Amino acid sequence: MSRPVLGRREFLASAILFAALPSTANAAPLEKVKDLGVLRVGLYADNRPWSWAEGGKAMGIDADIARTLAEALGVRADIQLFLADEDISDDLRNVVWRGGLLGFQPCDVMLHVPFDRTLMQQENNVVFLSPYYRETFGAACSREVGNCEAAPAAFKGRKVAAELASIPDFYLLGYAGGTLAKDLIHLPTGYGAAAALTDGTADFAVATTAQIEAVVKDHPDAGIKVRKGPLPMMMSPGWDIGIAVKENARNLGFALDEAIEKMIANGRLAAIFAQHGVAWKPALAAQA
Amino acid sequence: MKRRFSTLIAGLAAATSLAAAPAIAGGPTSADIVNDAATPGDVISYGMGPWQQRFSTLDKLNTQNVTKLIPVFGASLGGEKQRGQEAQPLVYDGTIYVTGSYSRLFAFDARTGEKKWEYNARLPDGIMPCCDVVNRGAAIHGDKVIFATLDAHLVALDRHTGKVLWNKKTGEYQAGYSATAAPLIVKDMVITGNSGGEFGIVGAVQARNVDTGELVWERPVIEGHVGTLKGQPNGMTGKLNASWTGDLWKTGGGATWLGGTYDPSTNTVFFGTGNPGPWNSHLRPGDNLYSASTLAIDVDTGVIKWHYQTTPHDGWDFDGVNEFVPFDATIKGKPMKLGAKADRNGYFYVLDRTNGKLMGAHKFVMQTTWANGIDLKTGRPNYVPENRPGAPDAAVKGKSVFASPSFLGGKNWMPMAFSQDTGLFYVPSNDWGMDIWNEPIAYKKGAAYLGAGFTIKPIADDHIGALRAMDPTTGKIVWEYKNKAPLWGGVLATRGNLVFTGTPEGFLKAFDAKTGAELWKFQTGSGVVGSPITWEQDGEQFVAVMSGWGGAVPLWGGEVAKTFKEISQGGMLWVFKLPKQ
Repeated sequence: MSRPVLGRREFLASAILFAALPSTANAAPLEKVKDLGVLRVGLYADNRPWSWAEGGKAMGIDADIARTLAEALGVRADIQLFLADEDISDDLRNVVWRGGLLGFQPCDVMLHVPFDRTLMQQENNVVFLSPYYRETFGAACSREVGNCEAAPAAFKGRKVAAELASIPDFYLLGYAGGTLAKDLIHLPTGYGAAAALTDGTADFAVATTAQIEAVVKDHPDAGIKVRKGPLPMMMSPGWDIGIAVKENARNLGFALDEAIEKMIANGRLAAIFAQHGVAWKPALAAQA
Repeated sequence: MKRRFSTLIAGLAAATSLAAAPAIAGGPTSADIVNDAATPGDVISYGMGPWQQRFSTLDKLNTQNVTKLIPVFGASLGGEKQRGQEAQPLVYDGTIYVTGSYSRLFAFDARTGEKKWEYNARLPDGIMPCCDVVNRGAAIHGDKVIFATLDAHLVALDRHTGKVLWNKKTGEYQAGYSATAAPLIVKDMVITGNSGGEFGIVGAVQARNVDTGELVWERPVIEGHVGTLKGQPNGMTGKLNASWTGDLWKTGGGATWLGGTYDPSTNTVFFGTGNPGPWNSHLRPGDNLYSASTLAIDVDTGVIKWHYQTTPHDGWDFDGVNEFVPFDATIKGKPMKLGAKADRNGYFYVLDRTNGKLMGAHKFVMQTTWANGIDLKTGRPNYVPENRPGAPDAAVKGKSVFASPSFLGGKNWMPMAFSQDTGLFYVPSNDWGMDIWNEPIAYKKGAAYLGAGFTIKPIADDHIGALRAMDPTTGKIVWEYKNKAPLWGGVLATRGNLVFTGTPEGFLKAFDAKTGAELWKFQTGSGVVGSPITWEQDGEQFVAVMSGWGGAVPLWGGEVAKTFKEISQGGMLWVFKLPKQ
């Protein structure tokens, strides 16, 4: 069993591991969605630019994709912004195949699910489909910085920002024997880390490329410089994201997969990304 | 067994009436609660007294007659929430108050088992509680019963009707805060810790006015944060960046999720603190004060008097939250005010509770791979550096390290008991270890993440759980009872020379406090992970315990799960007594 965090004293997780089995079908999930006229979509809360709440409305790239998918099925989107648990396995259990212990009903589909062969082998209760974007980590600098292509060690003594407990955090904390550890500012999100470049809070930030691009779009006058070269010794080469449905909901999954294929082909997907300032990049798995 | 040292009852249990507590219209006062250990006619505090020794002076039930103990009634908590009943009941004025999992509170008639009322907290359905759906018990004061809920509220109910008197938010559940511990009542204040997800939260202790729920003082437990008293700043905890790098102190962890104990003679509450964040110790050089510590906090001001850190620079998730139980003993001819804690890390610590000085530290589990003993001069562990999990420095699976105890600890939340007669602590412990390695294929909130993979496994053929009787002055284990499945319930000791505890296999068991001989057991129908109590009622001695398997242990697969795979869920209050002659 793999867990991202050691910390917890008492894990909730799975009554189900030992008790309830996945409920018996639901033979026709696609028909059910069409009958009810609603596609219930699970998205991460507070995950800008992908999904977040503003004025009671779900915003973001994933929220827009969710609405487009619902439209393709001829139904309304019911977007559920959920709190991330400790790792993807917890999220899939809470959101896709079992539901929360305190009454949160499972969703028909979850977006922004890592599309990874090892993960697929571990998760037998869900089907992974439709890799629709390639995530990578990148960096950016404030307008005060002359050369954003310099090695990160050059930022010693200036403020550097990252999302708390993310790979960028571990990267900057451990970089060159901890040389930047004292200069690191921790923010609750990667978007927040990149946004710290706009107001003098930080001069260098490591976050996902999408988070950085979205901040650049949201603050066009801030003079943020996006680093072009790769980060030396970055631990993650990037990862694909896709969608997940419950194991017994394949026909729904295939219908959504078809809709996403169409969105890619007709440019609708890239257009949604562009509205949020993010350059769409096809998933590696989709390029094979 | 000869008593090895004398125990003093220290003002607390002054020789007041041993008869059943009178039914006072106004309900228990703070003075009554301080005196709980000396009034066996009721149980009005978590731990059966402010020291939480879980020792009863009752001896009508004893080693001679315990074999005749029979159930009086079983009362179901009902509904579908049959899981994780970790509570300790309270008994007052003919009523048993007990919390259930999923933030419920029940009042039962103590004579008939009939339910008087039930309160179900309305919880937001989007909560992903960090620490299971359990609750460990309520507090009682005046006309109120008070308990904490999974969405990080503190709720005071009218004890006669179950109607809400006040309801205060103690943290943001959206940010991962939760609450499961029993509140502590001291000097008309209700004092609680906090609990929550790993990152971004900072442990704190809060004292509130018991009548209104308004905050009196707050003490953050991580250095650099500033406490408050009556709304005004009240000094920094520790010294900024003395043991943390950069801004990591801002999100340093140290949740105080198990609550605290109280010592009237020093006017101190003792709270344990959780592990520091982030999880990988290589990313946060330094001791990371005051994570994984016991803190002595002044009751009136919330100022820290002393600290003792059990696991400096924790790298194994050895929370320091376990209860610090005050006791008095004579060491080398000198009467001393002491306190003891059986830590997650496998060591049993005895401290001078007036100043935090280490008096002794002894292993109470089979194996501690992470350290070879505790240095009595410095108070620090003798680390085994090669057994510290590695730094997450590459996108490859790291070297696997075997660590014992596992991160669930030599002892977890379940409270130990101390017998003032035998002078022994009865520690519900577990012998297990874990393989732990850096795991490159991990994802958190849709993003790649460097996690830790681990597998918990038994380290003995015949048991995981072990109830151990430990002499705090010598560190000698006087007896042990081995249990196949992990022990996860609290312990009770009595003047009848008895020790009670429950097992996941469903039994409530009674042992001879001196020898460890198992004298009695009763199958409750589900695993017992609650804490038993005893009291006197209508001239007879009663014992009660919750039954209902759950908590953290059922999560873990592999070898550990084999020990409890046939155990069913439940939710039942059981009450026992001797048959009438």
